[in-house]
Amino acid sequence: MKILVAVKRVVDYNVKVRVKSDQTGVETANVKMSMNPFDEIAVEEAVLLKEKGVATEIVAVSCGVSQCQETLRTAMAIGADRAILVECNEELQPLAVAKLLQSLVAREQPAMVILGKQAIDDDCNQTGQMLAALARLPQVTFASKLDVADGMATVAREVDGGSETLQVTLPAVVTVDLRLNEPRYVTLPNIMKAKKKPLETLTPAALGVDVAPRLKTLKVSEPPVRSAGIKVPDVATLVAKLRTEAKVI
Amino acid sequence: MRYQAPLKDMLFAMQDLAGLSTVTALPGMEDYGQDTAQAVLEESAKFCEGVVAPLNWEGDKNPSSWKDRVVTTTPGFKEAFAQFAEGGWQGVIHPTEFGGQGLPKLVATPCAEMLHAASLSFALCPMLTDGAIEALLVAGSDELKNKFAAKLISGEWTGTMNLTEPQAGSDLAAVRARAEPQADGTYKVFGTKIFITYGEHDMTGNIVHLVLARVPGAPEGVKGISLFVVPKFLVNDDGSLGARNDAWCVSIEHKLGIKASPTAVLQFGDNGGAVGYLVGEENRGLEYMFIMMNAARFAVGMQGIAVADRAYQKAVTFARERVQSRDLAGSDGPVAIIHHPDVKRMLLTMRAHVEGARALAYVAAAISDVAHHAAEPAERASNQAVYEFLVPVVKGFSTEMSIEMASLGVQVHGGMGFIEETGAAQHYRDARILTIYEGTTAIQANDIVGRKTLRDKGVVAKALCGRIAMTEKDLAAHNDADCTAMRLALSQGRAALEESIDFILANGKSDAKAVYAGAVHYLKLAGLVLCGWQMARAMMIAQDRMAEDPAFFNAKVVTARFYADAVLPQAGALAQSIRQAGASTNRMSVDLF
Amino acid sequence: MSILVIAEHDNAGLKAATLNTLTAALLCGPDVHVLVAGHNAGAGATAAAQVAGVTKVLHSDAESLAHGIAENLCAQVEAIASGYSHILFAATATGKNVAPRLAALLDVAQISDITKVISADTFERPIYAGNAIATVQSSDAVKVITVRTTAFDPAAQSGQAAAVVEAIAAVAAPGGTRYIGSEIARNDRPELTAAKTIVSGGRAMGSQEKFDEVITPLADKLGAAIGASRAAVDAGYASNDLQVGQTGKIVAPQLYIAAGISGAIQHLAGMKDSKVIVAINKDPEAPIFGVADYGLVADLFTAVPEMVAAL
Repeated sequence: MKILVAVKRVVDYNVKVRVKSDQTGVETANVKMSMNPFDEIAVEEAVLLKEKGVATEIVAVSCGVSQCQETLRTAMAIGADRAILVECNEELQPLAVAKLLQSLVAREQPAMVILGKQAIDDDCNQTGQMLAALARLPQVTFASKLDVADGMATVAREVDGGSETLQVTLPAVVTVDLRLNEPRYVTLPNIMKAKKKPLETLTPAALGVDVAPRLKTLKVSEPPVRSAGIKVPDVATLVAKLRTEAKVI
Repeated sequence: MRYQAPLKDMLFAMQDLAGLSTVTALPGMEDYGQDTAQAVLEESAKFCEGVVAPLNWEGDKNPSSWKDRVVTTTPGFKEAFAQFAEGGWQGVIHPTEFGGQGLPKLVATPCAEMLHAASLSFALCPMLTDGAIEALLVAGSDELKNKFAAKLISGEWTGTMNLTEPQAGSDLAAVRARAEPQADGTYKVFGTKIFITYGEHDMTGNIVHLVLARVPGAPEGVKGISLFVVPKFLVNDDGSLGARNDAWCVSIEHKLGIKASPTAVLQFGDNGGAVGYLVGEENRGLEYMFIMMNAARFAVGMQGIAVADRAYQKAVTFARERVQSRDLAGSDGPVAIIHHPDVKRMLLTMRAHVEGARALAYVAAAISDVAHHAAEPAERASNQAVYEFLVPVVKGFSTEMSIEMASLGVQVHGGMGFIEETGAAQHYRDARILTIYEGTTAIQANDIVGRKTLRDKGVVAKALCGRIAMTEKDLAAHNDADCTAMRLALSQGRAALEESIDFILANGKSDAKAVYAGAVHYLKLAGLVLCGWQMARAMMIAQDRMAEDPAFFNAKVVTARFYADAVLPQAGALAQSIRQAGASTNRMSVDLF
Repeated sequence: MSILVIAEHDNAGLKAATLNTLTAALLCGPDVHVLVAGHNAGAGATAAAQVAGVTKVLHSDAESLAHGIAENLCAQVEAIASGYSHILFAATATGKNVAPRLAALLDVAQISDITKVISADTFERPIYAGNAIATVQSSDAVKVITVRTTAFDPAAQSGQAAAVVEAIAAVAAPGGTRYIGSEIARNDRPELTAAKTIVSGGRAMGSQEKFDEVITPLADKLGAAIGASRAAVDAGYASNDLQVGQTGKIVAPQLYIAAGISGAIQHLAGMKDSKVIVAINKDPEAPIFGVADYGLVADLFTAVPEMVAAL
């Protein structure tokens, strides 16, 4: 069974981003970049499925600038067998990425596509669902548990208030949530092995996909600043202030 | 705030100062270019930050303990070491032939730095194991290598270095442990070894002790010491573990710092003799030790840089958050102490020393790679000579400075720094051993004076000064205020160093005691100037590349400038004391103390 | 052109999230229709018809629509999508699951988690865990939107004469997905994302027992929902549906009390729009004090029970 995993290169989750003073975006020059944390979970899940003998080949895909190769090498160091970079220097929004992935799905015919549920830069939470629609595949989002057997995936997913379990026939698209697994630490031997694994570079034009953005960003601004609060010396003062000053109890 | 490996500075030092591209151009090193180095450092950082660093405080509060000859390490260490081994990190630098990754020293060094910074106590186990591996690979028979090397490299077993005895520390000639040859070619080893790092622990199935001992009839002194492999468990031919050997841990020490590292007293041969296997030839043990001693001393130097950086990061975090007193330039209310000039001075001092020492160490690592892998024997030899000069500097200077920097770290914290829970005190205590073990600062200084300056009549030392002079020319070409200030400071520093070299060459034989009284100052002077040299190079590169990353390169220029303004001026004072203080040291007779 | 809101409902009526979404919808345009799709969802349709500003309710009822399965709900919406300039979902698990699929089927962009309607084609939305606000403009013919419910007041129920409820044929389910079951935490507490007051615990609680022991009485006293930091959830002290944060629940109650929570960026992203924030933490340097209106540096194991007694 072949699995396609999509990974995105994003600003590292530890970085406190700064809005550019000209409000055209967020400062990303010279800022630490890493694989989107949810995508690490996606790759890990694919590798676990391979270790269980369910998956036979894992193909990692990334769309973006050429440095995404680093992200793909990391995916291969975790355990993906090969990688595809769809190189593009323009802004890629989820619909465009979904279309690029759809053309790769048509090419690779995976039994499952696994993606992180959302990217921590744009926080869109759309690409997996869009891909499922375009490829006419069932989707299971926010997966917290995944079992594959007999051409079906049984997936528990996080919903408001708890979890629900769905069963889908493969091929299907799965987006992963935080509690699905804990990504492994990459080993040194696997980093070195990953260098030899195949990495193919394609372009949107070669795949025949129009990736022009649909949404125009008019400006990016700082969030409203909360005014400074005060420290209260004891519980009695706290309760009094909540009652009479803030009037919330 | 948790420890964060300073990847940007490490990559800058590796690529721009130490010349990673030169190393990857060496035969057999083609696979270790920038992309690989970056990937390796990033994953190493994740592991060190995520798994090891959180254990550092635990190790101090809950150190390893001993009961009935069994040592239990800090909770969490065993699991962390298993992950470390699984990650392949023990084998970073070791030959692929035995399961290592064979990375150049230049790439392995930042990995080691991060591990030490994450937890000095934890990192000591892999560090000592490296020593055991080196000794085996340098001098062991194929049989010994096949039996022990691979499992040490994989992290399945760990190793120890057993030199010290109660009466033999700096003076290894006084070693009394003995090894009696047996009919089957093995030996029975008897004796007591002390201060054995990770001499006993619960993290792996076996421990491989490398032990210095005398065979019967061996010559007196250093020329009569042999090296033996004495495993905790004997190993069968099929690789499985056999009988428990007669090597027992009778106690571990309660120490000022690195508390989680079990420092063992090992008793060999109380029950008939510990089975030992000769490494190489009889009576050449110390010679083999000296071959691997460079790596061990270099590693301790890295420990100094690591703990100083850890202390620095902690101090910066505190200084940003702690609010006390109005700004001297005027402010509405009290400000974070990082705004006060004296706090800035302390932090800059820490930063300048860490960056300078790191740069010099990585440069030395690259020189070591060239010394090992260059095609031409002459190139290998000349680089080896420079590397050997730099090793005592990296060890001696980086460790001495680390204690001062860790102390500054406590100072930045004010009263809270003296309170253990804050964590600054641990770095200060952990650092204190670094100037003592693996050759005290005085031993490093004796080495740099005796073996590395006098012996070749100062040729290597003067050649390094020549390279510094060339950098001064580059600084002159740059011709801005910062480069001018650096050039003046560096040239004065170099002059002080050259003057001291001349002093040593002139008086080394005729007035050895006066010269050796100033040996540590000479070592400090060399470190000060050589690190300043690297900061000068860094300053120019940072200026040239400013637009690429203004924040990083601006900080580099200012830090380098501070080095020139505040650190390099100490050179003249050191040179003066080297010249003068020998006489008064000699004059003070022992009964007057 | 009209605006369509995809309602979320249970057998009794509309879920609170839909009321917030309706407010956002009315800001996009005046003619708001509501789709109530489900199984035996009549009560939901009736409730929708009574919300102020709703001009029409479309009610589609079938067993295949019982569990909000994305493929089925999507097919249903796609079938009626033409004629609408905007299709809005609440940014709930369901909305986030379905809206992008629908957008791709219609070959339009989807706009996630809007916090403000600037005009019919321009919206604000948070990015980078809310550390930046993007103003985006869509030129697509249909705007498919998920609405951050905490950013909009709920539309008034029973505010008008009931709008028309039109029964529409349920679209055949595409198949391929089978609903197996659910495990929803059942309790009397208000739902986390709609609660007026939230009491949250962090890793300082130390254990599940202590978490429950300390947080529950205060939540009970205040009629509050219970939340948790990711660290507390990861440590097993609280279940994951209580997680407040960038990738958990986004909340904006009137009162948010954070006990033993340090205030990592990712947690703040989930609660910094709360009207009043109270932080109780024994570490005076904890980042949470940077956003708290009232900060109490104290041991929570003493302070929280004290607070329960004082209320």
